[in-house]
Amino acid sequence: MATVSNVNHQDNNPNTNTVAAAAPPVSLAKQTVPTAKTVDTQLQSELMALMMSGDAGISAFPEEDNIFCWKGTITGSKDTVFEGTEYKLSLAFPSDYPFKPPKVKFETGCFHPNVDVYGNICLDILQDKWSSAYDVRTILLSIQSLLGEPNTSSPLNTQAASLWGNQEEYRKMVEKLYKPTA
Amino acid sequence: MAANYSERIHIAGTHSAWQENLLGGGGELSLDSDFVSHVRNLCSRGLESLIVEHFLCSVEVSAHFIFIYPSERNQIDGWGVKEDYSADEISFAAGTFEKMGHQGFGSILMSTEILQFLIWKINIFCMFGNSLSCNLLDQQSAMQDILHKALEEIISEKQYQGKCLLMLVHALEMCRGNDGMDLDCKTAEMDIDGAHHHKSTLGNNKLVRNIGVVVRDLRSLGFTSIAEDAYASAIFLLLKSKVRELAGDEFRFSVLESIKGFKNEIASTGLRIKDHVEYLHSAVPLQFLHAPCLLGESKSYESPSSGLKSPLASHLSFTHYGTGIPSEGLVRWQLRLEYFAYETLQDLRIAKLFEIIVDYPDSSPAIEDLKLCLEYTGQHSKLVDSFIAALKYRLLTAGASTNDILHQYVSTIKALRTIDPAGVFLEAVGEPIREYLRGRKDTIKCIVTMLTDGAGGNPSGPGSTGDSLLEELNRDEENQENSSLDDDANTDDKQAWMNAQSWEPDPVEADSLKGGRYRRKVDILGMIVSIIGSKDHLVNEYRVMLAEKLLNKSDYDIDSEIRTLELLKIHFGESSMQKCEIMLNDLIDSKRTNTNIKATLKLQPQPVADVGEHELSLDNLNATIISSNFWPPIQDEALNIPGPVDRLLSDYAKRFNEIKTPRKLLWKKNLGTVKLELQFEDRTLQFSVTPLHASIISQFEDQTSWTSKNLAAAVGVPVDVLNRRIYFWINKNQYKSGDHKFTLVEALVESGKTPVNTGSYEELLVGDEEGETSVASVEDQLRKEMTVYEKFITGMLTNFGSMALDRIHNTLKMFCIGDPPYDKSLQQLQGFLVGLVAEEKLELRDGMYFLKK
Repeated sequence: MATVSNVNHQDNNPNTNTVAAAAPPVSLAKQTVPTAKTVDTQLQSELMALMMSGDAGISAFPEEDNIFCWKGTITGSKDTVFEGTEYKLSLAFPSDYPFKPPKVKFETGCFHPNVDVYGNICLDILQDKWSSAYDVRTILLSIQSLLGEPNTSSPLNTQAASLWGNQEEYRKMVEKLYKPTA
Repeated sequence: MAANYSERIHIAGTHSAWQENLLGGGGELSLDSDFVSHVRNLCSRGLESLIVEHFLCSVEVSAHFIFIYPSERNQIDGWGVKEDYSADEISFAAGTFEKMGHQGFGSILMSTEILQFLIWKINIFCMFGNSLSCNLLDQQSAMQDILHKALEEIISEKQYQGKCLLMLVHALEMCRGNDGMDLDCKTAEMDIDGAHHHKSTLGNNKLVRNIGVVVRDLRSLGFTSIAEDAYASAIFLLLKSKVRELAGDEFRFSVLESIKGFKNEIASTGLRIKDHVEYLHSAVPLQFLHAPCLLGESKSYESPSSGLKSPLASHLSFTHYGTGIPSEGLVRWQLRLEYFAYETLQDLRIAKLFEIIVDYPDSSPAIEDLKLCLEYTGQHSKLVDSFIAALKYRLLTAGASTNDILHQYVSTIKALRTIDPAGVFLEAVGEPIREYLRGRKDTIKCIVTMLTDGAGGNPSGPGSTGDSLLEELNRDEENQENSSLDDDANTDDKQAWMNAQSWEPDPVEADSLKGGRYRRKVDILGMIVSIIGSKDHLVNEYRVMLAEKLLNKSDYDIDSEIRTLELLKIHFGESSMQKCEIMLNDLIDSKRTNTNIKATLKLQPQPVADVGEHELSLDNLNATIISSNFWPPIQDEALNIPGPVDRLLSDYAKRFNEIKTPRKLLWKKNLGTVKLELQFEDRTLQFSVTPLHASIISQFEDQTSWTSKNLAAAVGVPVDVLNRRIYFWINKNQYKSGDHKFTLVEALVESGKTPVNTGSYEELLVGDEEGETSVASVEDQLRKEMTVYEKFITGMLTNFGSMALDRIHNTLKMFCIGDPPYDKSLQQLQGFLVGLVAEEKLELRDGMYFLKK
């Protein structure tokens, strides 16, 4: 998956270029040396938006003193097998965010067809389908909905994918493997 | 043998009788030789042991009841002198006593009487020892024991001694009352107190001589240090009680001068005694000498002038008695006495400092005294410690109102800046108060009220303290400016005003000693602002209060507000008061616009009155037009007002739009005041109420009974609001409430009251009621800001689990930099978090905050 991810990143480059072209005020110089300040403000305003949005079940906040590293929290949606569980995420934003997607990983073990044992997530918008229009909030919402609607066609966790059909068994498995972090 | 025996008994009887006579104080000098011969006689018969035993026994017994008086002491002293005792014996006795004195007395206060008693004992001892010189060594230990016991007895009599001492002190004070230096009289009184029966005419000399002898004896016995301690204790006790008596609880007058006078008196007395002693013995000067009963003059000073001319002032004493240079000892004694006097007064004042400051302006003489004392003793830290303790115990408690604390704080500032212009100690004392006040919610409000109120109200009213603090500050300021500019001939009032305007509060830490001419007193306002942290908060609070005040005004009279604002501008600067100024300008403009609109309306034909009975013209309407951007957020509350009034308002708005074309008028219908007259069947009442109250009552014009639900719908407010407000009318007996229905009470007869107040005009400040302010308070604004922070806090706690206070604070500072940037202090955040914990949104465990699950 790591290789795929790399390939996806390469795929992503033209995408960013087009965005840059679409936004002429962003000069080339600015892009080559992505001023930390603009990314900073971008993340800052995203944080503010996220905080004020008040979406239930998703949350994220920058760590200690680094606005590029966030901790996220997602709770399983109602009426899914993940109901009542809470998952911690880590979000690492690249310095050229939002032109590149952040690296998002599960910190809490998650028994899910599209999440591997290391917490890596296979989600198209975090790879080839990334767009600078996405923000932290949409990422978190996407991941939250991914929990309830996995893409079993390209699983990272084949056991989970195969079990998905039996929701009752799956629920038991989720409960068995769920280890909430303190 | 029998004869021998009887003789012995006889002799023993004689001896003992004699001895008792002697010890009883009635002894005659002539018996002395008899006594010696008796003793010799007895000794020759080998009865030394008997004599010794008996004598010692007598001494022991006498110790129980004999309290030696000067006459007896004198007499025995006479013997002592007469007896040719050897120096060895004296030194032996002295050694014994010194030792015993140290063991037995320790730190016990020894009065002169004890010492006299001791002297007397020593003399007896010496005399007796002399007559039995051969056996002396054998009896040494026995005598030592006995005398030791005797000394213990003396100690047990200490209480009595103390009483005597007090009597002496008292007598001395009484004498002082008799025009101070009437020494003879004093001596006489002392003599009476001491049950001394010698002739009062001879009293002076005799007493002085006695003292001289005592002193000499004491010195020769090596008692100097003990005696001095005793003198010192006695004189200090005397001085202390005098100071207490003079100072007492009276803070309105300066007592320092009289204390000084008294001290000098004591000093001069002491000096004279000392001189006398020096004259008598020309020996090493004692440091001081106290003997309340001896104010007589020695022979050398017996000239009639000395008694009369005895100057109270110490320097005169020096010139008079020193007849040259005062000895070092005298000066030292003088200084010591002075220090003690100052210290006593200072301690007294410090202990009462809290009370003194409570009635500060009246008690300023006491403060002045304290200042002088502190300058002398330098014990400022004592003041700080004691005062802080008093503050914590008496002021900074939940029971004290914020207003009281603030007033005390201001008084403290004023009082302490007298004592300590540099403000160092004030800083130390003020810190606990400030710390405490920061924890109170209504502090800012109280400060603003204190600063501004009184200027607008009725200064002579019983409730108000007269002038506002601000007025007072300004007066001080102007006085200062004027005095400092007096030397400039060309300075006029305008210049002074300019200077006053350019005034900026000094930082509290500023060294006020800097710059002689611009040297300024401790800045009260700065100290008060430092409670809040920044002047912005203060200004903001004032803005809210001002808005409230202005909106409740029915006329456009804002003179007092303008004055207050000008004063505030002086202290806080023009720019920070800008919004307030706009608010006031709004009022002035409103007045003009109001008149204008009415004038134009009059030119037009009057619109036909809507309803005949409820005829309303624009004359009845006065509008306050505000530029809402500059006003604090105004509480909006939907409200249906009666149709005629509503039409009137829209007419007015239309006219406004015509006159000030691009601008439109938006009514805040819930604000303002309605003056209305209610006509009942049997009475007419006038009220001044809020629009909501007026709307409610107007609904009853057509329908005398409403359910609360329907009424709420008609008025356009929620039912609970209606229920709260309608109680105003119920309390005024206009309605009956029952079964959720309100019925108009047409006649008061049924409520059993006579309409005595028909036609009376009731003034009501409805706006003062809790939660009915027209302007969002500072707390509300803060609350709104805090909801943003609450979301952030929830966000970070969701992701980090638990966080300590300072981490939350730092995180907010770092990441919450949006529209209302996080600018709160750690304390404010803590207060907010405590609120969240109380709302059960958060949990606090071991200093860490958690989200409540």
